[in-house]
Order: sequence, then C-alpha cells, then structure tokens
Amino acid sequence: MVSVEFEQVNKQYEDGFQAVQNLTLDIKDKEFLVLLGPSGCGKSTTLRMLAGLEDVTGGNIRIDGMKVNHLPAGARGLGMVFQSYALYPHMSIHDNLSFGLRMMKGTDKLDGNEISKRVKEIAQLLELDDHLDKKPKELSGGQRQRVALGRALVRRPKVLLMDEPLSNLDAELRHQMRNEIRRLHDELGTTTIYVTHDQIEAMTLADRIAILDKGELQQHCAPMEAYHNPANDFVRSFLCKHIDDLVDTANALFKKPEEVNE
Amino acid sequence: MTNSDDMRWWYVPLEIVMLRRWLVAAFIMNVLLLAVDYLRAESDLLLLGIISCLLFAALRASLPNVNDTLRRDISLVLSAALLGIAVYRLLRTDPTIFNIWIHCWSLLPSGLTLFWLSGRPVTVWTSRKLSDSAIEYGLMRNANLSKIYHATSTHITLLHFVAITVIPLIWIIDIAFSEGNALGGQIGDSFTTEHFSKILNGDSFWTWFRNSLIVSIGTALLGLFIAIPAGYAFSRYKFTGRDASMFSFLLVQMFPGIIILVPYFMVMKTLGLLNSHLGLILAYCVTALPLCVWMLKGFFDTIPRELEEAAALDGCNQFQVFTKVVLPLSTPAIAVTALFSFLAAWNEYLLALTFNTSNDMYTLPVGLASLISSTGQAWGDFAAASLLVSLPVALLFLFFQKFLIDGLSAGGVKG
Ligand SMILES: Nc1ncnc2c1ncn2[C@@H]1O[C@H](COP(=O)(O)OP(=O)(O)OP(=O)(O)O)[C@@H](O)[C@H]1O
Ligand SMILES: [Mg+2]
Repeated sequence: MVSVEFEQVNKQYEDGFQAVQNLTLDIKDKEFLVLLGPSGCGKSTTLRMLAGLEDVTGGNIRIDGMKVNHLPAGARGLGMVFQSYALYPHMSIHDNLSFGLRMMKGTDKLDGNEISKRVKEIAQLLELDDHLDKKPKELSGGQRQRVALGRALVRRPKVLLMDEPLSNLDAELRHQMRNEIRRLHDELGTTTIYVTHDQIEAMTLADRIAILDKGELQQHCAPMEAYHNPANDFVRSFLCKHIDDLVDTANALFKKPEEVNE
Repeated sequence: MTNSDDMRWWYVPLEIVMLRRWLVAAFIMNVLLLAVDYLRAESDLLLLGIISCLLFAALRASLPNVNDTLRRDISLVLSAALLGIAVYRLLRTDPTIFNIWIHCWSLLPSGLTLFWLSGRPVTVWTSRKLSDSAIEYGLMRNANLSKIYHATSTHITLLHFVAITVIPLIWIIDIAFSEGNALGGQIGDSFTTEHFSKILNGDSFWTWFRNSLIVSIGTALLGLFIAIPAGYAFSRYKFTGRDASMFSFLLVQMFPGIIILVPYFMVMKTLGLLNSHLGLILAYCVTALPLCVWMLKGFFDTIPRELEEAAALDGCNQFQVFTKVVLPLSTPAIAVTALFSFLAAWNEYLLALTFNTSNDMYTLPVGLASLISSTGQAWGDFAAASLLVSLPVALLFLFFQKFLIDGLSAGGVKG
C-alpha cells in the first residue's frame, strides 16, 4: 500500500516568490494522478518537493503516513522522469538503467545477478533490448524517453513521478507513448503522479486530476467530473472551454467537405 | 527582358572578382615588403618598390566593368609595366629563396592580371553585349571555378602562416645539429649530434629536467585538487562572498608577475621554502588557479542540473553525484586545465630564477639560460636543449589532442 499526502504544503523560493500555497492533496494506492495547470502555476515545484529536490517551506508531505520533508531524495524510494530525460551521457543504456540499482543501500542492496535480471526485464518491457550497449546520444527521442521511463521504473519505485515527459516528442510519438504509459501503469500498478499542461493528455491518462492555478489547488476529482462540474471559473475556462473549442474546431474541419457536397 | 538585363549586371567573370580581392592583398603585401628594401638601404630598388605599390593601387582602381574596353586596356598596360618592374627587381637581387618569395608577390599578381585580362572571358565581357546563353554559361563557369580559386587563395594564406611558425623551428633545429657554437651558416651545411650528446651526458640537464617535471606535475595535480572543487562550488552553490571571491581571483591576474615577485620572495623566505620544489609549486598554483577555476566553472555550468537531480533520485549522496556523474563528464575540461597549469609551470622563468639559487634546484628554463651566460653564448648547446625541453610538451599536446578539442568545444553533454 502506497499513499501520498500533501498537508497544507507551502513553497516560497529564496527570492520570496510563493510558488505553492496551502496545497492539500492525497494520492491513493495504484492511482494515476495528473497535475494539470497553465505554465508557471507550480506543478513542477509540487512534484520536486515530493521528490526531495526542493525544500518544503511549510506543511508536511507524507509517504505511507511517514513525514518525508527532510528525507534525502534517494531515500524516498521514488522514480522520476524528467522532461529533458536527463540520461547520463557517459554511460551506456544498460548502465543508465542499472545505475540506480547499483546505488541501493543497506537491506535493499542487490547482487549482480539480480541487477542484470531486473535490467533485462525492464528492457524487454520497454523494447530496449537491442540498444543496451549504445550511448544515449545514439538513440532517437522516443527511445531516450523509454530509457528515462525504464530508469525510473527499474528501482520499483513506490511512486513514479513524471514532469511533462512527452513534451519533446512529435504528435504521433506522443500519442503512442501516452498509451504505453497508461498500459505500463495498468500492468505494474505503480502509483503515478504525472505533470502536464495539456488538457487532452490529462483527460485521457488520469484516474483523478488536480488542477492548479497560481500555486493553489482549484479542483481535485475524476477528469470527467471536473469537465461536467467545474468548481470555478478558472476550471471552466481552462478545462471545459478549451476542450469544447477543440471539439468545435475538429467538427468544423470535418464538416466542410460535406457542406460542399450538399 | 528585365530579367536578362538584371543578369547582365550581375554577371562578372570570376577572374575579375578574384582580381579585385587578390590585388588588394598584393598591394598590402608589397607595402609591407618595402621594409626589406628599406632595411637593405638600396634606394633605387626601394623607389621601384614604391612605384610598384602605386601601380598596384592604380591597377586595382582601373579594373574594368562590363562593356568597358578603355579601362581594360589601361589595366593591361599597368599590369605589363608591373610585370616588367618585377622581373627587373628579381634580376637585380641575389636568387635566394627569400628574395624569390618577395618578388613573387609582385610577379604573380601582375602576370596573372595580364593573363586573365587578355583572356577570352574578360575580353568578351568588356567588349560586347553578351547573349543570354553566354551569361548562363559564364555563371556556370564561375560557380565551377570559384571553388578552385578560393581553395588556392586559402592555401596560399595558410602556407604563409605555416611558414611563420615553422621557419624559426627549422632554424633552431639546424643550429642544434650544426657544428660549433656560433650562429650563422646555411641551413643544412653541417650535421652533428655533439650538442645533444653533450647535454644529455651532462648531469645538469637531467637534474633540471627532473626538477621541472616534479614542479610541473605537482602544480598540475595540486591545481586540479583545488580548482575542481572550487569551480564546482562556484558553479552550483550560492554562498556569501561568492561573486566577490570570483572577482578577486581576476584581480590578482591584473598585476604583472614582477609586482608580486618581491612579496612572494619574502613569504617563501619566511616559510623556508626557497630552493624547494614545494615553494615553486605553491607559487605556480596561485598564479594558475584563477584561470583554472574559471575554466572549470564554465564547464560545470554546461552540465545540466537535472542530471545531478536524477543521480540524487537514483540514490547518490552529494559526493557520489559529483564523482559518478559530474567528474566523468568533465574529463575533457579537466585535461585542458591540467595541461594549462602544467605548461605554465614548465615554461615559467622569473619565479624559478628568483626562488632557486643553487644549480641543483634549477628548472629547465633557468638552467638553459645559465647555459648561455656561463659557457659564453653556447648557441648550439642552447638550441639542442631547447628542443629537448619542447619535446615533452609536443608529446603532451599530441596525447591530449582529442581531449583538447573536446574540452575547448565544451558543452557536449546535451541530448
Ligand atoms: N528556483 C526558483 N526561484 C524562484 N522562483 C522560481 C524558481 N523555480 C520556479 N520558480 C517560479 O515558481 C513558479 C512555478 O514554477 P514551476 O516550475 O513549478 O511551474 P510549472 O507549473 O511547472 O510550469 P511549466 O508548465 O512551465 O513547467 C513560476 O512562476 C516560477 O517562476
Ligand atoms: Mg514545469
């Protein structure tokens, strides 16, 4: 059982900027939560506080009920996929994947056989078998993306964090990877927090979405519920109106030829 | 209609295009070369040289335009005159390589101008209204030839640079292998290895060599040991006095070495570090550090922070993040920095001369200088020793070449 709770979490950067305000949020076991909001609303900040890359300036973050505010990043048992992938350029794909396993400490420490078994497993799952000896710069964007995903998953993280993992891919590949991420989640059941500013991505992936604006939580519920019952004007315009506009555009586009025929 | 008129204006035979540039170069070179005639105090040749320069300027100004036979004829006359003067000047001087090279700078441009201006493409271009197909052909010809002409001019320029660097070297090599210790004589007129054997068999050279090696390697290692953490801290952390200390690093560099020489000497004397390797190593580190720290900071700045964050999430502590991710990525920059401080120490003369009073502690540059004064201008020995000193450096460069290029074109971590 994995659960994550944010209790009244605040983040104020050194320059005094309040990036996150009184955020209270809970993520259930095996849930796929999407953090959605416009650029600069504090999504990445929230995720990075949970990951331990950014100090919390107020409130508590709990994983499995335990307060982790001051736990080092590596000790929290999380996996993270960065927008820029952040693969280690000097290591082969195999070493990129196994690095986290080799760094495990204490009772988690793994022996060589177990490490190579796990790397093989994850490489198979993500169809990376043929590329294990290559360096990251020899891979395509989509493959790098999968390595980044694999590197986060291979440690069997309690929670998988993804910060706009698909924004560097072209539309076709994004669509494909989106399906793959959801499939992986259903297969592995890893609790996942996914950050995006793309409404469609959020709607298709999420079990629940948390909509943020200016560092404050606007609504936290199932995606369809947010669409049908927006909590306030911001959600109405950012989510509902945006999707309606998209649908209208699409409809207009496909109606035209028929009208001409008539 | 307008189209082909436009083309008529646009089309200039490549010969003219090249001459417009090359004649400027020829003019500048000839002006510079006047200095040779001046130094040789040959007044009539100097006068001819000045006339040549003026003629080159006139020739460049009179290069023809389209449908301009008059200017073409003037140019032809000018270049013929230039060619005549050049041949006369060549015949007047001794036929050494240097003289021939000098006169090539007026011979070749004037000859080429004469040849090209009287050639068919320019003749047709200046005398007639070209048909469309002729222009099309001319443009194609330009495109094909321009690569060759550009390559030629690039190579001539590069050859000059190579000569500038290589000739002194050849000179030194020749002196080192010539008999006797005097300067002069033709290149390659005698051959002996006496200077080398004398130096290599003497005790002093190897003592100096050892001293230089210890001091230079010590400087490189100690320098890296301090500069790597310092550069990393400057690149990654914010702390009080960060900017001030970065600036103060530069401040030290603003003074010429001779100003800090006396304070250095006092410090070393108080610490009892005169005539010791450590004293020199410390002094060299202080001088080399600012640049090393700045260079490494610049490189660390190009390593994305996210890489370190990923490593932190993979379970590394701060030290492991540094050793397992940052350091391996920085090898090129570290190699360049090490090489830099090594060379600075290897070639340094002033401090080494001041701090060390005994022959046992001399480094190579100091030892070599003593060779000249003590044995009375032993140029042959000196040249041989210089070559022996440069050899390790040359080898080092050869070995580090790949790193150097990587290190200088830093920021290769993206993607
Ligand atoms: N190190 C920092 N110091 C000061 N302010 C910061 C810092 N990092 C982020 N901010 C500010 O905090 C706010 C939230 O940043 P954050 O990166 O969380 O946005 P985001 O929601 O992820 O946006 P995007 O979709 O563009 O990535 C922004 O207004 C940003 O300017
Ligand atoms: Mg972000």
